[in-house]
Amino acid sequence: MTHFSARSLLKNALSGHKDWPAQWPESQPKAEYDVVIVGAGGHGLGAAYYLASQHGITNVAVIDKGWLGGGNTGRNTTIIRSNYLYDESARLYDHALDLWDNLSQELNYNVMYSRRGVMMLAHSVHDEQSFQRHIHSNRLNGVDNCWLTPAEAKAFCPPLDITARRRFPVVGAALQRRAGTARHDAVAWGYARGAAARGVDIIQNCPVTAIRRGPDGAVTGVETAKGFIRAKKVAVSAAGSTSVVLQSAGLRMPLESYPLQALVSEPVKPCFPCVVMSNTVHAYISQSDKGELVIGSGTDQYVSYSQRGGLPLIEHTVAAICEVFPMFRRMRMLRKWGGIVDVTPDRSPILGKLPVKGLYVNCGWGTGGFKATPGAGHLLAWTVAKDEPHPINAPFTLERFTTGRLIDEAAAAAVAH
Amino acid sequence: MDEVDLLILGAGPAGMAAAAEAAGAGLVVALLDEQARPGGQIYRDVTAVPPARAAILGPEYRAGRPLAEGLADPRIRHIPGATAWKIDPDRTIAYSVDGKAALIRGRRLLIASGALERPVPIPGWTLPGVMTAGAAQILLKQSGILPRRAVIAGSGPLLYLIAAQMVRAGTPPLALVETQTRGDLLAALPHLPGAIRGWRSMAKGLGWIAELKRAGVPRHRGARDLAVDGAGRAEALALTAGGRRRTIPCETVLLHEGVVPNIQATRLLGLPHRWDQAQRCFVPRHDRWGETPLPGIHVAGDGAGIGGALVAELSGRLVGLCAAAALGRLDPVERDRRAAPLFRTLARERAVRPFLDAAYPPGPQTLSPADGTIVCRCEEVTAGEIRRHARLGCKGPNQAKAFGRAGMGPCQGRFCGLAVTAILAEANGQSPDETGYFRIRPPIKPVTLAEIAAMAPTGPDKDSA
Repeated sequence: MTHFSARSLLKNALSGHKDWPAQWPESQPKAEYDVVIVGAGGHGLGAAYYLASQHGITNVAVIDKGWLGGGNTGRNTTIIRSNYLYDESARLYDHALDLWDNLSQELNYNVMYSRRGVMMLAHSVHDEQSFQRHIHSNRLNGVDNCWLTPAEAKAFCPPLDITARRRFPVVGAALQRRAGTARHDAVAWGYARGAAARGVDIIQNCPVTAIRRGPDGAVTGVETAKGFIRAKKVAVSAAGSTSVVLQSAGLRMPLESYPLQALVSEPVKPCFPCVVMSNTVHAYISQSDKGELVIGSGTDQYVSYSQRGGLPLIEHTVAAICEVFPMFRRMRMLRKWGGIVDVTPDRSPILGKLPVKGLYVNCGWGTGGFKATPGAGHLLAWTVAKDEPHPINAPFTLERFTTGRLIDEAAAAAVAH
Repeated sequence: MDEVDLLILGAGPAGMAAAAEAAGAGLVVALLDEQARPGGQIYRDVTAVPPARAAILGPEYRAGRPLAEGLADPRIRHIPGATAWKIDPDRTIAYSVDGKAALIRGRRLLIASGALERPVPIPGWTLPGVMTAGAAQILLKQSGILPRRAVIAGSGPLLYLIAAQMVRAGTPPLALVETQTRGDLLAALPHLPGAIRGWRSMAKGLGWIAELKRAGVPRHRGARDLAVDGAGRAEALALTAGGRRRTIPCETVLLHEGVVPNIQATRLLGLPHRWDQAQRCFVPRHDRWGETPLPGIHVAGDGAGIGGALVAELSGRLVGLCAAAALGRLDPVERDRRAAPLFRTLARERAVRPFLDAAYPPGPQTLSPADGTIVCRCEEVTAGEIRRHARLGCKGPNQAKAFGRAGMGPCQGRFCGLAVTAILAEANGQSPDETGYFRIRPPIKPVTLAEIAAMAPTGPDKDSA
């Protein structure tokens, strides 16, 4: 693996950056692996990387029906934060945030993690009470979060309109300064490069058609478009396709798949210094390094696998954005797209063992999977390697939907986030 | 939301003919078009053009006038200046007029968005002073403007027409540079019977060539390695012909390598397309009535496969008849009776096409540009970079977006799409069908946030109203 350094950058700059070698090989599947991971998004590749780097398990394949990072990893709004209400969630997302801190250094690959701060706007008394509760809870859990007055919010994000006549008046905001954004493709590429350098095979354009189980019920491997691959351990990390893949192993997952939409504007010079979210109108906005405004909307009201999403949701989100940031009214929207997100009844993920020997799952991240990428990969690797969950992901079982020990972030935030 | 029987996108020959036929059968029709006046590109401004300019443009152009005047039928609502930016499989179109967005739905939908000129990525094609030959023709039709010291280069019958129109206007091109070779003409010979059947089109073309000869316009044939030279703007066109490299000093370079279907709308709808090897472009799949696999959605005109203005008009009429029958306004037997002569004329008009497609293929630079040439103008991605993506395992245009942003600018691949597919197909040893095309996202034309916001029931404009 090439080591990226100031010296290697300078050397390649002199030759016009034409001599960089490929960062990972194009692999063909072997007959058998110790672990097969289904889904080469950030989570799956992260799990492969940590299996190899922290647990010494390198006979691993990551298989994807498309190209690596081509699913939700490549089509989200790249927001990273950990200000969740419940103790379990706060620990889970803060674990990810800790890993984000040093990810570029660890991978020797610039994932462009930017701690620009995520500010959540309160538009009503109810919002304010809910955010204050979040802030207190977060601080008790060691997660940074603070309250801003409208004037302080405007100072932090100058384009914000805080005049009271607005339909969505700003009565204050909760700010997590450690939160921010990262470059989505770079995260997948960084993990792929790190994993491949340690011997992991990344097999692209190869749909997994079924999970096979032996007479004793344990997993024996996966059927793919390139033939059967034996493996005693299979981890499924396939976002919206998880329920379909696991159905072939005889498991019915409590997941519903919805299209979630986002859009980008034409690029402009830097004008928006942070990430701003509004749960009330379900809109979020930030500016990419390219200069485009990246605007996130809500999920459709109905389940679907269509990667387009309804226009009314975009109308609603954009109307609110134009209200809160009037200076963006004349900006042009260039593209809108949808990703399929898998949502659980309590809007918290399922990350752990399944009731089938050798089968593991990482799914149900809903609209918030990107921020958890390093944490999810790290915890999935731990769970697969040790055949038991890490204390952080222990509460995020499938069984909680039968025992009732829910982690109800849906109720906590009053939105599907 | 407005609702009509037949909703048509594009007021060119196909759209106008479909509207007239459908309205004649009693259907309520809405015709959306981006321009201020009907006609499409071929009959652009035909209702408003002064007689002197009409004489320059020739009889083929004036033939469009009755079609445009047919839109006066009270059953036809012509909505000019409308930019369609979102089209859904439920036959709803979101469009904007004068900065106001609206929705309209048709019980039947016809996409007649026509053709666009095949972009010609040669070195220097992004310099000021370089434009397509069609753009020059638009300036002539709409504003009576022509460049004075221009070289016209490329391939295709339209090249002769535009050059002849420039001659008639008193500003002949400095030279006519053709990428067509003797080999191309030989390859077209097997299609000669079709050409004889379509003798009317052939006679027109030969007439234009004779006009150019009489005017003494120098003609360079079999030209290779075209490049626009100039510091900061186009100053000359360089080319190799007859084994000799030459440079023609000029102020404007007009490029043209034929026209291809504009598939932004049909791709946005997710319709299946196939690669047409003869025309070197993607065409949406459709049956002989122009109906696509999506129920109630039709295509007609050059957007359904290049055939020219007359073919477009006939295919539009067929869609009008089919829509009227499907909505119960026309007896199927009557539909077939009226369609029979249209199908016959259509076959005759299409007969010449295989000869033209073989005789005027796009030049080799068009679909396989040199490494240093910019292919995606919006994001400044070169052909060499696309080939490098392929070496790194990139199989298709959508993956190429992640590698280097080709096709992610405001035009969404309208300019680079075919070239990116062709380059990746060549580099990976795949067919263009296997390689695929950009996934087109709404809006197909950029739209302001305020326009979208004003559509929302809770939008700021509604509240203050």
